[in-house]
Amino acid sequence: MKTEIIEQSLLKEKIFWRRVEPGLQVFVLPKKGYNKKYATYSANFGSINSRFIVEGENEELQVPDGVAHFLEHKLFEDEEGNAFDRFAVLGASSNAFTNFTNTAYLFSTTESFYQCLELLLDFVQTPYFTDESVEKEKGIIGQEIRMYEDNPQWRLFFNLLGALYQHHPVKIDIAGTVESISQINKDILYKCYRTFYHPSNMAVFVVGDVDAERVLDQVEANIQKRNYQPLGEIKRLFPIEPPEIAKDHVEQSLTVSEPLLNIGFKEQNLGYDGQPLLKREIATDMMLDIVFGSSSKLYNELYEEGLIDDEFDAGYVAEKDYSHSVIGGETSDPDKLFGRLVEGIKKAKQAGISHAAFEHQRRKAMGEFLKSFNSLEFIANNFPAYHFKKINFFNYLQVLHELTLDEVNQRLQEHLALDRMACSVIRPKTR
Amino acid sequence: MANFHHRRLGNGINIFIHPTAKFKTILVQLIFHRQLCKEEVTQSALLPSILQRGSKNYPTRQKLALSLEELYGTELMSEVIKKGERQLVSYSMDLVHDQYLPGESQLLRKSLEIFNDLLTNPLLEGDAFKADYVKQEKEQHERVIKGIINDKIAYSVERCLQEMCKEEPFSVFKYGTVEQLAQQTPFSLYNFYRQFMQESPADLHIIGDLDVEETFALVEKIFTYKRGKEKVVPPTQVDIQPGEIRYVKEEMDVNQGKLVLGFRTGLRFGDKDYFALLMYNGILGSFPHSKLFQNVREKASLAYYAYSRLEKHKGLMVISSGIEADNYERALEIIRQQVEAMRKGEFSQEDLDNTRSGLRNQFLLEEDSPYAIINRSLDGMLAGQVLGTEELLQQLAAVTREDIVKVAENVKLDTVYFLTNKGGA
Repeated sequence: MKTEIIEQSLLKEKIFWRRVEPGLQVFVLPKKGYNKKYATYSANFGSINSRFIVEGENEELQVPDGVAHFLEHKLFEDEEGNAFDRFAVLGASSNAFTNFTNTAYLFSTTESFYQCLELLLDFVQTPYFTDESVEKEKGIIGQEIRMYEDNPQWRLFFNLLGALYQHHPVKIDIAGTVESISQINKDILYKCYRTFYHPSNMAVFVVGDVDAERVLDQVEANIQKRNYQPLGEIKRLFPIEPPEIAKDHVEQSLTVSEPLLNIGFKEQNLGYDGQPLLKREIATDMMLDIVFGSSSKLYNELYEEGLIDDEFDAGYVAEKDYSHSVIGGETSDPDKLFGRLVEGIKKAKQAGISHAAFEHQRRKAMGEFLKSFNSLEFIANNFPAYHFKKINFFNYLQVLHELTLDEVNQRLQEHLALDRMACSVIRPKTR
Repeated sequence: MANFHHRRLGNGINIFIHPTAKFKTILVQLIFHRQLCKEEVTQSALLPSILQRGSKNYPTRQKLALSLEELYGTELMSEVIKKGERQLVSYSMDLVHDQYLPGESQLLRKSLEIFNDLLTNPLLEGDAFKADYVKQEKEQHERVIKGIINDKIAYSVERCLQEMCKEEPFSVFKYGTVEQLAQQTPFSLYNFYRQFMQESPADLHIIGDLDVEETFALVEKIFTYKRGKEKVVPPTQVDIQPGEIRYVKEEMDVNQGKLVLGFRTGLRFGDKDYFALLMYNGILGSFPHSKLFQNVREKASLAYYAYSRLEKHKGLMVISSGIEADNYERALEIIRQQVEAMRKGEFSQEDLDNTRSGLRNQFLLEEDSPYAIINRSLDGMLAGQVLGTEELLQQLAAVTREDIVKVAENVKLDTVYFLTNKGGA
């Protein structure tokens, strides 16, 4: 297969890219001078993919919440032991993560890179689940879920998603619940594995001081010897999500020193991926930073009034089928802060965004993107996730450069719609 | 030897320049050293937030934020760090190297000028900081102090160490206390600030694709503020023998219990046996192949996390795990069995090899992070010897099984702390 090169001259970085039959995408970004070599092997399968059907098959599958994350835990085990230990022998550290849309397996090493890569490819392609090991994992994941129950930021966030969405599975915790994972068994894991861990639904990304052609050849050889059959298109099924939010307010009490507040806006402008989605993401993030960021009038007023601290933050999640912004943090008075935010949003929409604020923010966004390329993890975790959304992450700077003030102003009017806004509050329990 | 250039400015600030073409950024970090003591810790921890509210040339947060955005999002951060019985107050600046910004130059100079202005040219009302800013930042700081309970893992570790080191300066919380905070005035804080800037030993690190001579010249021109006689930070007390094991139980409305064990090792970074202790800690609990992860999590399914880590300047080791409150006895038993196994030398050649390669990997990885590079030279200076990667790897390679079993004798359980739900076990 032919290697293509994706270049970004401003970044002074190059990616070598090859498609390996039957459809695995492999990317290599050589980084001279780094000791670290970092690789991810990701599946386009996350916590929201609990209903699906494969083209050419009749059966629609509905699996318990938390399966993608459960599978991530179990894939490390095989008949003879577990992959953690084999990476340890090579002096590498391995890990994995699951989010709403992807599962990624990764390692980081300074030595024995090509052996580690082979190990990564092998263990992800060798599922081995037994009744006993599945049962044992329920105790471990149960404690992971319990840990997050005590995490105020996490609870605040998921309570907000529960208020924004009526049916969409993004509102459900990535690990599922103690109840939902109790229904998971090895057959369910195998079914999900066979569907979502097919090479055509996966990507490999390698970054570090490596020989790009050698990496691409090695991955190709590893995949080809397994004689994969082509897989039909996976249709990911989602319940119909109405444009309206589920409820406008949700509260919980936890042992915290002071209240927390998040507000969120549910996106209406959905249904597409690719570069237009990247553009929407960048424009919305810029808009949020201009309205709520540390150089905004609103932020500084709220800070001086003691309503927020310097961790107050606003961000946007851009996906094809669901998107939302999340704004907030810890506060001395959530009711007052809520009122001031609504007032501030109305004022911002009346005034619009100035050319000066837009240009400032563009410089900042450019600097932040460049800075993030110090981190091999940042590159290797993001590039495949954007790739699954049909976005070339290297186009970020170009899209940023082409963005206009009008487009950002349009996001301000369109996205910050008060009738699509929900509010989540955590209040301190009396100790 | 480590790859940096050191010079001392006329006013006594130590400048360290680490030239490397690896990164797209330049990181600047200025670190002030103080003795960790309860009389002054609150003031030292509060100063950075007051200074960042405004200087004479950048009198508001908004003006400052706009100026930093203009410089392509140069980031300004402050941090309070505790290393042994030493409090470090750190200011840092992370900026894009202007070789990646067509048509830009002088970004480092412009950033350093803002940095210096904030630190040495504060906004004043007479002989005091601006009263509004002090009032607001005292409130913000009170939230930081009280906010420790929001992260139950960090809280439980902090509480265990506080209980354990009750009689030692190490028990002082790095952000200070609400009581001390209440006594601060704009006038008293400004006096403290002047003293702090004049007498605290200070190190300025700059790392990036830099010309060493040019950078020294630039820094020399900008950081000219007047300083006085430096106040030496006394050494941390390490050699303390624990008595009877202390058990502390604290109730809180939580879902998951947090079990924390505090140990004394008697060894600090810089001691001849430190690398054996590092290996000991690795085999016991700092990797997924370690005894704690394997036995508490993988075999017994009691926890999602179970690890050990060292406080390398105070000679402590902490084990931490999140469990169901009802499993307290079982988890404690399993953890103590692992520590006992270490003492008896019950670990395999594979445990030894894997841990050594894991640590080797960590040392090499540090060279890829500007923050880790600075932190390593800082740790080295506190220990009296800055080691380069080669030397670290040699020391690591020299550790034998016997060395590890020998240091295991030094590791003594001092305090068992349990954060549990109300009415729990």
